[in-house]
Amino acid sequence: MPKLTINKKKVQVDNGATILDAAGKLGIEIPTMCFLKGYKPSTSCMLCVVKVNNSDKLLPACGTIAQEGMKVETDSDEIRQARKTALELLLSDHAGDCIGPCQAACPAHMNIPLMIRQIADGKLRDAIVTVKKNIPLPAVLGRICPKPCEQTCRRAQFDKAVSICLLKRYVADVDLQSEKPYLPTRDKNRNKQVAVVGAGPAGLAAAYYLLTDGYSCTIFDDHENPGGMLRYGVSQDKLPTDVLDAEIELIKKLGMVFKGQIPIGYALKMEELRKDFDAVLIAIGQTKPEDVESMGLETSPNGIAINPRTYETNLPGVFAAGAAVRKSKLAVRALADGKEAAIAIGQFLSGQTMTGSPHVFNTRLGKLEDDEIERFVAYADKTERLTPSPEGAGFTDDQASAEADRCLHCDCRKPQNCKLRQYARQYGAKPGHYKGGRRSFFQHVQHTDIIYEPGKCISCGLCIQIAAEAGESLGLTFIGRGFDVRVAVPFHHSIAEGLRLAAKKCVEACPTGAIVFKTKN
Amino acid sequence: MNELDLTFIDKAVEKIGTGPEKVLAILQDIQEHFGYLPTETLERVCSLTEITPASIAGVSTFYNQFRHRPAGRHIIHICLGTACHVKGGNQIYDAFRRHLNISGEEDTDSKKLFTVEKIACLGCCTLAPAVKIGEITYGHLTPDAVPTVLSDFLRYEEAKASHLQKTYKPQAETTDTCGELRIGLGSCCVSRGSGKLHKALEQALSQTGIRAAVKRVGCVGMCYQTPLLEVVLPNNRSFLYARVKPEDARAIVLRHFKPKKITRKIRNTISTTLDKILTDQSWEPITRYSIDVRDKTVADFLNKQKHIVTEYCGFIDPVDLDEYVQNDGFNALQKCVKELSPEQIIDEIGRAGLRGRGGAGYPTHLKWSAVHNTKSEQKYVICNGDEGDPGAFMDRMLMESYPYRIIEGVAIAAYSVGANQGYFYIRAEYPLATKRMSEAISNCRKRGFLGDNIMGGGFSLHLEIAAGAGAFVCGEETALMASIEGRRGMPRLRPPYPAVSGLWDQPTLINNVETYAAVPWIMRNGSEAFAQLGTSNSKGTKVFALAGKVARGGLIEVPMGISIKEIIEDIGGGIAGGLRFKAVQVGGPSGGCVPVEMSHIPVDYETLKDVGAMMGSGGLVALDESDCMVDIARYFLEFTQNQSCGKCTFCRIGTRRMLDILERLCEGQGKKTDIQELEHLAKMVQQASLCGLGKTAPNPVLSTIRYFREEYWAHLNKRCPAGRCRALITYSITDDCIGCTLCAQHCPAGAIEMKPYQKHEIDTEKCIRCGTCKSVCQSDAVKVE
Repeated sequence: MPKLTINKKKVQVDNGATILDAAGKLGIEIPTMCFLKGYKPSTSCMLCVVKVNNSDKLLPACGTIAQEGMKVETDSDEIRQARKTALELLLSDHAGDCIGPCQAACPAHMNIPLMIRQIADGKLRDAIVTVKKNIPLPAVLGRICPKPCEQTCRRAQFDKAVSICLLKRYVADVDLQSEKPYLPTRDKNRNKQVAVVGAGPAGLAAAYYLLTDGYSCTIFDDHENPGGMLRYGVSQDKLPTDVLDAEIELIKKLGMVFKGQIPIGYALKMEELRKDFDAVLIAIGQTKPEDVESMGLETSPNGIAINPRTYETNLPGVFAAGAAVRKSKLAVRALADGKEAAIAIGQFLSGQTMTGSPHVFNTRLGKLEDDEIERFVAYADKTERLTPSPEGAGFTDDQASAEADRCLHCDCRKPQNCKLRQYARQYGAKPGHYKGGRRSFFQHVQHTDIIYEPGKCISCGLCIQIAAEAGESLGLTFIGRGFDVRVAVPFHHSIAEGLRLAAKKCVEACPTGAIVFKTKN
Repeated sequence: MNELDLTFIDKAVEKIGTGPEKVLAILQDIQEHFGYLPTETLERVCSLTEITPASIAGVSTFYNQFRHRPAGRHIIHICLGTACHVKGGNQIYDAFRRHLNISGEEDTDSKKLFTVEKIACLGCCTLAPAVKIGEITYGHLTPDAVPTVLSDFLRYEEAKASHLQKTYKPQAETTDTCGELRIGLGSCCVSRGSGKLHKALEQALSQTGIRAAVKRVGCVGMCYQTPLLEVVLPNNRSFLYARVKPEDARAIVLRHFKPKKITRKIRNTISTTLDKILTDQSWEPITRYSIDVRDKTVADFLNKQKHIVTEYCGFIDPVDLDEYVQNDGFNALQKCVKELSPEQIIDEIGRAGLRGRGGAGYPTHLKWSAVHNTKSEQKYVICNGDEGDPGAFMDRMLMESYPYRIIEGVAIAAYSVGANQGYFYIRAEYPLATKRMSEAISNCRKRGFLGDNIMGGGFSLHLEIAAGAGAFVCGEETALMASIEGRRGMPRLRPPYPAVSGLWDQPTLINNVETYAAVPWIMRNGSEAFAQLGTSNSKGTKVFALAGKVARGGLIEVPMGISIKEIIEDIGGGIAGGLRFKAVQVGGPSGGCVPVEMSHIPVDYETLKDVGAMMGSGGLVALDESDCMVDIARYFLEFTQNQSCGKCTFCRIGTRRMLDILERLCEGQGKKTDIQELEHLAKMVQQASLCGLGKTAPNPVLSTIRYFREEYWAHLNKRCPAGRCRALITYSITDDCIGCTLCAQHCPAGAIEMKPYQKHEIDTEKCIRCGTCKSVCQSDAVKVE
């Protein structure tokens, strides 16, 4: 029964217990990926390294037996640095996208693959919820967006990109035409007033998310009607006014107060706004330096100077977003700005640390080789991209469903419970820190329930142990050695033959998205 | 596809056994038979044995020895050990592939005659660069010698097939021989033709009727002079002949012995001819001459040495048990099993100060007493002969030359710790060592030195050989035991140490070949005699494989405490070829480079560690000013990265990312932050890898950065000061060119146009930087910069 100290706390454990067991007894958390209770420690990922007796070496807590008098340290700069390096090394050899390239390219980071799956499943109400989580004016954008998402769509490497933008428009149009278009539930009233100056895409988006979060919001604009460039800078043919009106109407239903024909700087003074409101967002679109200065704000080459993460200006409580702060005139970019500024304003008003919107951690598979793209599309629907006619029309129900089937679902099937992603975020590991040749993309889909992607495997070997324990006749094994070691079924048999009994357990144990259930979400 | 005949598998399984631990032996048999491992055969094995598909698939892809695709009729193993690397092994590899028209992923020529494979180290470092085709080793190759080597090999095969060689009856053993002809039969000597020489000598003796005995002896250590022949006359005067060819045999015999069948006149004529051959250096570029042991260079090579584990070097027949016994063999074992208690032996070893010769230098007696003190019905003893370091061949030489001494050491150890079963784990690349050891074990068994109730002392020990299959990591003790158990050679975390839970979870003693070989001497001569040699912390002697750019490479045994400088300059005769001595690589992939400025340091475990190197198993590779230290670091990292088992993140991916950086530097693509990043990764890999392989892998990098940082900076600026990194150098021809056309004739890339009597030019676009032109140019007119 050895007694030891961990982070200066004393603990006694049974003979044969590990440092990890001892830490658990003290409630000290040590991160692990390759360890699973009940199985032999793999001592492979090395995320659980700790310092013992002040030695210059680091030892994996999961496999190191606790000994009498040991002095263990589980958290120091040195240890965190080692864990971060371990994670960065694993990420450098990780062939997979956490989020789809389309979502990564979308300035608003809309979860496109999820929306498409919901369309394919006929769950259009779910789809509009997914869309509006990041894009409050989807029917509008569905008509005017230059679609950066489609430019990175992996399907384009095989034939043509999935028609993402039209699918989004389809979801939005169906919603608008429904009896009760979707309105998010508002958080309880927080009794804080926000003034938004400018009713263009940035201002409208900010208003939408501020209102959803329980803030009151008044929006000022020098025009008579809200919409900004969407109303006054886009032709009616491309964006019919009734579509714009319908989506703005929904924001009004959320509680937006619109005050038109009030130009900022003349009828509306910054000092008054700051006095009357708890926070101010300037979203006035393209502006001139003198106008910025007249508001008491600092300028930058792109317009109003802001902190790019929090959208704060030099004046406390005054934020700025959209074309007022950047050269880009993309509506979707302005929309994203509005959403992100709303998050920062929320943090400001609730007295939290201002961090801006959470960083979306993502690993990138990058451009695929020709043989990889062949494998990538091997099991996908090979139908050609659909173009609705006449030009400018949207998808019919059948068309939308067929187009949705073309999606390759590049996003990871385990983005929420992938330990690699979780710890990489926690330890601030950068996926691109070590550049080098990455693994090739492979996917094994022969199994009815699961998919195995060797590129995402961290070689912990838990699945091998589980398969052996389950009495699989073929099971799994490590093939090769060193950097090229891979988990595979012996003799090139399929994953279906290898995992007849233990598939479900392997999915549950796999620390990454290497072995996953076929169905996403 | 032809149906494979699977009855072979049934027979192999019947012969070898069906336990899970038999998997390596069975795979080796299958590969021997089919040339590779067809999947059907593996499935068959699973159906006949306890070996599971997961196990056989995992094991067969872990070890380098096994092939999963058919090979050509002959396999060309190209050695890329350290010595071969610094002498251009990669160029030889490229040259073979070019000559055989093998490209891309392929490794076999279109006629399926030759398969080209890289091999980590053949352990013939003094022959560098070396290749092994079938059973023949070719040494000192140049890229343009490749066609000659291949045709020579095919001629040899043809001759072997027709088998018209007349066999000569060896001289009958007689007591009234008039002298002895001692011939070295270590792998180096054999590869340089000592086998043929052996035959030629017997032929000469039989034709002339001279009654001299031809005797094979183990390695003499003077590998730079092989094949070596020592003529000992009845008056004990001896003559040493170096680099002897079979055709010289008759002349040498006649020079020293009186023939019975030919006239004196003929003898005299031959003798005169011989003198000419031996002195006329223009006759052949290779110099062959008789060496006088009193000659200064030979004296230097031998005098600073101290033979303990190589006792009777060049004197006793490796597998002649009688001779070993006559020279005090097994006296130590007898004394131990009959007169001493295990505790007394362990104390004696402790007083001698013997430390593990495998590299880390852990005190031997502590290991022994740990196993001794662990209570268990079953204990094991293992001799680690998995010498995998490129640039090291000490253990091979010891096993080939002194098998009985090692067995005696193992037996004493087994008695001391209470083990009755033991294994010799010998790497696959050492067939001769395996053969000698198994012959020696069987002889010992027959004579009662092994088996039950050894020498009537009541102690029993059974020894077996376990063959490795090409995995450097199996030199790590926990990986080695996994391998004997028939698993992938993956190390595990210690504790538990093998002394407590080792082979099949039983207490196990595991020591290196050289450690065991020192034991009988200590027990015979006493711990004091051993402890008198060396430094305060490192006692006795150490065997080194001296290779690289020294004039005289070979196997040497020196007292601890001797300086590196003495080894290189006095024993090794300094750097060959007039270049400047730059550094010594000590300890292979776990070691580091000691720069010439620090070569005064003594050979001692702690001192070497302090300067960033490591005793390692004992490879010493001398480097000169034409060796690039970044390239050396890259070379070792490539090796360890290749040999990593792949278990832990730091070693599996960390060494790969370090190698990426080193490759970038050697290509001139380095980034400003690279050196800093390299140091960071090196520290991480060192600090947090699971086993010794990973923990020591960064040493070659850190030591070269420490002493040669300016070379790293130069590579960042796209310059290789040593003129070694191919991407950073260009070849050109200077005005010294006399227009002899040799370079144009030999250039394998057609980059030099033939212009007799004019200055030649190199087309840098076509140039593949193989160095052939430089090596053939007789006017020293090829410039590299």
